Amino acid sequence: MRTTHVGSYPKIPDLPEPGRWRTAAEKLQRGEITREQFRQVEDAVTLEAIRDQVEAGLDLITDGQIRWEDPQTYFARRLSGFSIDGLQRWFDTNVYYRQPVAEGPVSWREPITVEDYRFAQSHSPRPVKPVVTGPYTLSRLSQNRHYARFADLVLAVARALNQELRALDAESPPVVQVDEPAILQHRGDLPLFREAMAALLEGVRSPVVLYTYFGDARGLLGALVELPVQGVGLDFVAGPRNWEVLEAEGFPPDRRLGFGVLDARNTRLETVEEVLRALDRVCRFVSLDRVDLGPSAGLEFLPRRAAKAKLVRLSEVKRAAVEVTR
Amino acid sequence: MSDLPLFPTTTVGSFPKPPYLLEARRKRLRGQIDPAELRRLEEQATREWIQRQEELGLDIFVDGEMYRGDMVAYFADEMDGFAIAGLVRSYGNRYYPKPVVTGPVGRKRPITVEWFRFAQSLTGKPVKGMLTGPYTIAEWSFNEYYPTRRELVLELARAIHEEAVDLERAGARFIQIDEPAIHTRPDEDFELAREAMEIVTDGLSAYTITHVCYGDVPRIYPRMLDLPVRQIDLALKNEDFALLEVFRQHRFTKDIGLGVIDAHSHRVETVEEVLDGIRRSLEVFEPRQVYVSPDCGLKTRTIDEAVGKLASMVEGARRAREELRSVV
Repeated sequence: MRTTHVGSYPKIPDLPEPGRWRTAAEKLQRGEITREQFRQVEDAVTLEAIRDQVEAGLDLITDGQIRWEDPQTYFARRLSGFSIDGLQRWFDTNVYYRQPVAEGPVSWREPITVEDYRFAQSHSPRPVKPVVTGPYTLSRLSQNRHYARFADLVLAVARALNQELRALDAESPPVVQVDEPAILQHRGDLPLFREAMAALLEGVRSPVVLYTYFGDARGLLGALVELPVQGVGLDFVAGPRNWEVLEAEGFPPDRRLGFGVLDARNTRLETVEEVLRALDRVCRFVSLDRVDLGPSAGLEFLPRRAAKAKLVRLSEVKRAAVEVTR
Repeated sequence: MSDLPLFPTTTVGSFPKPPYLLEARRKRLRGQIDPAELRRLEEQATREWIQRQEELGLDIFVDGEMYRGDMVAYFADEMDGFAIAGLVRSYGNRYYPKPVVTGPVGRKRPITVEWFRFAQSLTGKPVKGMLTGPYTIAEWSFNEYYPTRRELVLELARAIHEEAVDLERAGARFIQIDEPAIHTRPDEDFELAREAMEIVTDGLSAYTITHVCYGDVPRIYPRMLDLPVRQIDLALKNEDFALLEVFRQHRFTKDIGLGVIDAHSHRVETVEEVLDGIRRSLEVFEPRQVYVSPDCGLKTRTIDEAVGKLASMVEGARRAREELRSVV
């Protein structure tokens, strides 16, 4: 079993410690510091995120997505063809994102995540997993003012992000996580989603894990595990029906399961026993060595202290699970 | 409401805080001034906003919420069962103090009544009682205590009901219960939110309003019309009145709080724009259904922007009234 983070980490510490990312962002907005000075603060805060994950004992970490304004803008602003518009609610959260607008042909211009990945990996004693917002979700959360059909937008974004994954290949990441929460709300788009995944993954050498959250993969899981991916991530907190999905659709022995079982959106800390019971249950469908135990989504929904406590709990569960199986 | 003109004008609740009050709130956090000094400045700012509303000629006033920070944290701070978990980012570099439910929730004492009385004592115009709804308080808090969201929401509904009853006893003729989170889980939770609103407004004789914004209103329409309130206040301007199409397909059976001013843009709308918005709305509403307001609370605007926007709004409503009279 591997313990892993799945995405974002709080950018500021809890009070009374100063939130220097927030202060710097305000200063940048007022033109009191340069882009370069802001980047130095992002570097320092990324190191904090890495330190917290390493101290918590995780096997596989992320860079905390400190540089992400939100999962859409971070990608859309570096692709050709998108402008960035007003605020929209992000799924069923109280978090908002700026909506990308496809105003022209979407294409890849330059590496988006590569430099950030390189920075994180070179400063981390543990393997770092880059995260890329998937083409379906990025398109679903955008406005389309250019393409005749939504499907055309999705496939263009998939081809653009394929270039990004290929650029990441050169860095030999241990695994790349592709986030596709939006497909859970649009099951009818499965054929299009398959096509988009084929375009996204074409010629990509790095192992890829496909993550979903904020719902269950009813009617989808069977198809998701057939994609050329190393594993599939499921959210068992917001999508408790994923238990029935596993029961109904099964899980193939040659795929890893991203087991999102610690609630990323509530401060209540699960007990070790509670998580062990869930692990025990999931092992009826997938062997323990193919489980990637993690939070149900990124952790930026929580204050930092609570986020760290969740990560520490993951390691405690792993230790206890190893004891039990010994 | 017989003493109100056609197209009564009002606002959604919050106004921008003057710089001296923002400074005082920061000082209070650092313990550099005492609560009484902060209170004095909050009262001063409230008086200023009552005075501005008089000058603007609004019909239904609010106290402007000079004493509130976040709309959920304010209620959480004043109630039993809550702590503040910490700061959570909502977008960009905006953070809000997110409450956490750690025990049984309930009122310790009336929360908003004293401020209502104070504001109402300053004017002959009706002042709205302003409450955050139980579904939104629950949805925008962490929950470490109640086994289900349902139990938390219904317990909060009982507390907010008590507050509404106290506001009514204190003389509030208008009570607004804000539920901006009501469409968060439109299929799973709308019925729960409706049931909670039924508890909140049970037995009230005041004119009740709910305000909903940001999110997928069409997903909860027409079910939304089952909410037990007299008026639903909605943001129409920021989507250029696209919602009117939805209401064309299924008649809007309540009064509408018609958002004709974008609360999140710096630009001050023209009178013509407001007038045009009201005219367009009359294609789907009866004139007597329409109350005129901004899309949302104005607290993120500057005072000048807010006053400019409201001046256009009041004048736009006056001209709409005149137009209608000349037709009749």
